[in-house]
Amino acid sequence: MTATRQPTDDSARYDIPAHASADDPRVLLEEQIGVYEPVPPFPPRTEREAEFYTVGDGEMLINIGPHHPSTHGVMRIVMKIDGEKVVDLDPVLGYLHRGVEKICENADFHQTITHLDPLEYVSSLFCEWPAVMAYEKLLDVEVPRRAEYIRVLSGELNRISSHALAIGFHALDLGGLTPILYSFIERDEIVEMLAALTGQRMLFNYFRIGGVNGDLNHEFMSRLGDWMSRATTEINANLGLLNENEIFVRRNRGLGTIDTETALRMCWTGPNLRATGLPFDLRRAHPYSVYPELDFDIPTRAEGDSLARYLLRVDEIKQSLRIIDQCLQQMPDGPVMAKLPRLLRPRPGRAWAGIEGPRGEYGVYAVSDGTDQPFRFRIHDPSFLHLQSFNLLIPGNLMADWMAVNASLDPIMGGVDK
Amino acid sequence: MAVVGRRFSRLSLPAKLFAVGLPVLLVAGILTVAVLILALPLVVSAAEDNLPLVRFLVAVVAVLLLTVPTAFLVIYLELKLIARMNLRIGPDRVGPFGAAQSVIHGLKVLTKEDFTPSGADRLVFTWAPVVVFMATVMTLLVIPFAPGLFGTDFNIGLLYVFAIGGLTIVGLLMAGWASFNKYSLLGGLRSAAQAISYEIPLSLSVVGVVILAGTLSLNQLVLNQAGSFLDWYVWQQPLGVLIFFIAAVAEANRTPFDLTEADSEIVAGFATEYSGMRFGFFFFAEYVNVFVVSALLVTLFFGGWTAPFDWPFPIEAPLDPGSLGITLLFLLAVVPVVATLLFALPFWLGRSSTPFWQALIIGFVIFNIVAVAAVLGWAFVSFDWVVGLLWFMAKSYVFVFVLVWMRATLPRVRVDQLMGFAWKWLLPAALLNLFVTASAVVILAELQ
Repeated sequence: MTATRQPTDDSARYDIPAHASADDPRVLLEEQIGVYEPVPPFPPRTEREAEFYTVGDGEMLINIGPHHPSTHGVMRIVMKIDGEKVVDLDPVLGYLHRGVEKICENADFHQTITHLDPLEYVSSLFCEWPAVMAYEKLLDVEVPRRAEYIRVLSGELNRISSHALAIGFHALDLGGLTPILYSFIERDEIVEMLAALTGQRMLFNYFRIGGVNGDLNHEFMSRLGDWMSRATTEINANLGLLNENEIFVRRNRGLGTIDTETALRMCWTGPNLRATGLPFDLRRAHPYSVYPELDFDIPTRAEGDSLARYLLRVDEIKQSLRIIDQCLQQMPDGPVMAKLPRLLRPRPGRAWAGIEGPRGEYGVYAVSDGTDQPFRFRIHDPSFLHLQSFNLLIPGNLMADWMAVNASLDPIMGGVDK
Repeated sequence: MAVVGRRFSRLSLPAKLFAVGLPVLLVAGILTVAVLILALPLVVSAAEDNLPLVRFLVAVVAVLLLTVPTAFLVIYLELKLIARMNLRIGPDRVGPFGAAQSVIHGLKVLTKEDFTPSGADRLVFTWAPVVVFMATVMTLLVIPFAPGLFGTDFNIGLLYVFAIGGLTIVGLLMAGWASFNKYSLLGGLRSAAQAISYEIPLSLSVVGVVILAGTLSLNQLVLNQAGSFLDWYVWQQPLGVLIFFIAAVAEANRTPFDLTEADSEIVAGFATEYSGMRFGFFFFAEYVNVFVVSALLVTLFFGGWTAPFDWPFPIEAPLDPGSLGITLLFLLAVVPVVATLLFALPFWLGRSSTPFWQALIIGFVIFNIVAVAAVLGWAFVSFDWVVGLLWFMAKSYVFVFVLVWMRATLPRVRVDQLMGFAWKWLLPAALLNLFVTASAVVILAELQ
């Protein structure tokens, strides 16, 4: 089969008949049916591919994904295993690629915000935020302070919901059934709250260039006050199931350990980087919005393993609660949108804006040529960069450890594949 | 009958069932009666000649039939209890509190396509669920449910349980190999490794009990523990109970040791390629196994069917219905009518808005409840197997609850942790338990 195999993308170029026959290399013959090997590209395109798909003695290739229960979306990992031990692995991405960057180059500045929401669908506000910040830099707009506070407030709420989900899925990937549902208590309440504020449960589409879409309303505030009074108790109840659970702790301690230099070399940011001991947080390192006026700590952990990444998210939830509390106390009155023309034509130029999201640095690089559409539009997504470290973290561990490491890195495939 | 006048295809489903079922039932009934009348003497004499065989056959059929409600009950408990622990409602549509949900699940797997993947070893693939199911069911044969209520009384009952229980793994390995799927293969291999590791501490943990009791017969073990709850072996073998419980959970492939079907790692393990009733058999076996594990734990360490304490007020039920003679017939005819009327009376008199027929229905329902309660109460005090069965089931389902609770709470261990725990902790602990027990027995015997 492999000897006569041809690239199968274009039948006209390679003179392949329109109707399949037994001679067609694309047709699986009777004796080949049921051979579910991950088929390597032929001929191998790189040396790495040739090396990876050469299976040694006692090793086998196994497909994890793209529709495996614990891939957090549609990631595919081709794993070379020796018994249960992972020898090597090859992530195959692109199953959720939608070409968001290109779509954004053909949409006007307001419309791009909508396309950015489904990137990291559990933390949509953080996908909108860098884009509107980049456009505001291009347009030289002053955002009203109330709008900035609302952005921080809603953003921190979104961060809590995202971290709660990450913690729950971490437990689910290790076989715990209950923590995910306890996490959803938090997440559902926050999502309802943000739905009252933004009108959508998931893809909020709330930030606007020069402000936000709509002021705080009564339902949001009453839900928020109600939830804030019991948030700590509820979150601690869930953590009790995990932090004091010997099985959970032992499965994560010392697993997927990475040091700060390697993490920096692999472009890690966010909680995963801070779990290696480096207190790098864009909210403090490159202050934006009203974060300089708020008092919060940057939690760090020295271990750099899966457990540290999990515990760091727990700590961040508590810091976010602090920030929300301060936002509510310090929020000024005033408008929530800057006065802007309906059709935006920023001056030609380029702008980068990066913010600290729940998974790391979310960035947007936008180039304007003076029209109402971005000339070039690029998205920086943290999950993608965390995924590229799999080959440092997994090989040598067991197959089940991949699930723990993957869950602790907390990638969202919508953002990875863009 | 208007039913007869219509075309058959236009009838409703109950009417169709009625029209087809009634003649069939009639004919079958008449035939059965005829055969019975003709062949009854032969059958009776044959049965009398082979009484152990008949008893065995009856026991096998009873045990096979028992698995269905047991599995349904455990599945329902698991659905509902885990839901409540997750702060969900759980099944609440079918039956009272969703109690028939597991029956619907059973019907669902019956009606689904029975799919065999290409490349699978068809023979092994087909027989694997049967092996797993039968191995689980056959362990039920020797478990004493109540005094006199057991399949057979082996003098090597405990050995039989472990031997047959170990066969489950063969079935899982067959399923894993025959499915022609790497996830299944990994699941099958995991189950084999797990079984080999945990069979040893499991077997060693009960040797202490065997030394104390001096028998392998499960019936004799229960009888040795009769008395109060202080006579249970759990007090003499606390470490043994712990080891047995942990190892048995691993043997039953339950959380936190459910690596064979770890859904977040190897999709569904050995069951990945199974569908329809074959899949159903695997899960029937799993849930029956949960009950078997609990029942064994109760039998070995918690007194089996014996009551934990003597009821301080002994109840005598000298009533023998047979001695009443013709009066019994008279009572059976009169008591329902009189009791129904009596129970209906307050409802009819008390509320002027209640019509007499409604009061009669209420009275009839109340009479039925009272009658069933009375019969059960009479059975309870008259037959000690009813009491025994009640205690046995109550104790067993406590441990079923614990297993379900563990599933809701604990994450899954890793393969190397699983193996390390078995060989580094459980096995030495079991050996220690065995050593201490044996020494104590010898020393106590020397002292006396």
